Amino acid sequence: MTRLVEVPTQFDDRSFDQFAGAFAAAAQDGERLLFDAHAAEWASPYGLVGLLAAGQAAARGGGAGGGAELPLLTAPNHGEVSSYWARAGFFREAAHLFEIHGRVPKGKAAEESDVLLPVTPVRAVEDVHDVVSRIQQRASAILASELQLDPKATMGFAMALSEACQNIVEHAGTGGWVAVQSYHWRRTLARRVVVIAVADAGVGFRHSLEPTQAKRFGDRWGDAAALEAALIQGVSRFRDPGRGQGLAGIRRYLARWDGKIAIRSGTARIAIVPSWDDEVPLADGLPAFPGAQVLIIIPEQRSSQ
Amino acid sequence: MIQHIDVHAVLQASCSGLYADLVTRPTGRVVRERIAQAMATRAAGPARAGEGALLVARMDFSGVGCMDYSCADEIVAKLLQAGATVLLLRGLSEAHREAIEPVLARHGLAVVLECPDGTLDALGPPDAAAELLEQLVAHRLAGRLPGGTFALTVT
Repeated sequence: MTRLVEVPTQFDDRSFDQFAGAFAAAAQDGERLLFDAHAAEWASPYGLVGLLAAGQAAARGGGAGGGAELPLLTAPNHGEVSSYWARAGFFREAAHLFEIHGRVPKGKAAEESDVLLPVTPVRAVEDVHDVVSRIQQRASAILASELQLDPKATMGFAMALSEACQNIVEHAGTGGWVAVQSYHWRRTLARRVVVIAVADAGVGFRHSLEPTQAKRFGDRWGDAAALEAALIQGVSRFRDPGRGQGLAGIRRYLARWDGKIAIRSGTARIAIVPSWDDEVPLADGLPAFPGAQVLIIIPEQRSSQ
Repeated sequence: MIQHIDVHAVLQASCSGLYADLVTRPTGRVVRERIAQAMATRAAGPARAGEGALLVARMDFSGVGCMDYSCADEIVAKLLQAGATVLLLRGLSEAHREAIEPVLARHGLAVVLECPDGTLDALGPPDAAAELLEQLVAHRLAGRLPGGTFALTVT
């Protein structure tokens, strides 16, 4: 039997919980999953890498066939949507995780101005080097000309990207994906933004930090406490006191550019919320979703900033 | 004499790809181990007159692209924690400083910056930074210039 997981028509961080809920409900009995994106109209980088993480988890879960069958994915019906997903590099990665049905545009991920980094796998240190190198070549002009960021901000952007990707390599216990795009953010902000989305279906923050942090938190220990420990307190699973600086560094960079970071792991999401956004700083009791999903948004700077 | 370390060259020699960026902990670890090895070789060599027991390594970051916090911690902080070498950094971009500064603050450590005009500055928590410059002066490796700045007295 195949269980259906509907992909939201507007698939981004806001609709991700709806998707995670559908995924959790469908995955619980281990049947083969069908991710239905035929009605999708738009997906943010966060939605695209999140869908890959779901595919990764579903493929690992195995389904009734004992692991032999990949989950199914129906591609968006709308040609433009499907074409955009292809240009964003989604189908190239999805081909390894899903049995894809529907029309999939041929060709490589394009080097277009809004796709600063197509969906890119992150499995090892070499991948992080590659991502950092590529983003510096692509992002500099966009950050300066479209977002009015100081040209010097490009290096900080690459640092933030590096640290976000390293979380996968060091903590996830599996590979993940990163994507970077620039687009006009109509919701709440009405400005251009650059968005970094990183997702994996690995062990997640709670599992990663449990051996060193669970006792300290006692009854409070859970996904929310683990995210709080990592993002707010800068703790790491390693006892080395130099560890845990990556997320703190990202926070410093975002504070300077009025940016946002949100991390979802397990059943919780934590965010450093700038004044232009209305997300709650900590949400718990969300539908369970494996691994960790990171969203970083840097908005266009107003001239007064 | 001050030991000179070309960090970009060490990075290129340490990694299989031709990377220009100091990113990721494993990369930082490999680079640090190579630098530490070079420092140990020099420390084992004959002592030079007038240098006392203080070893100074000039780490030149020219040519290094991005440096993240992980690498800053893995290289700069861990080299300082490892022993009795003063690190004199040159060729730092503003972005490199942004990566190194919080790492030094976290560990309460300081390094000396060699500015393009040859004057010295210290980076790190104020007390540790001031103490480090005084240490260089006490060992006659640096001197005070008129106006309160510092400069090396050895090369």
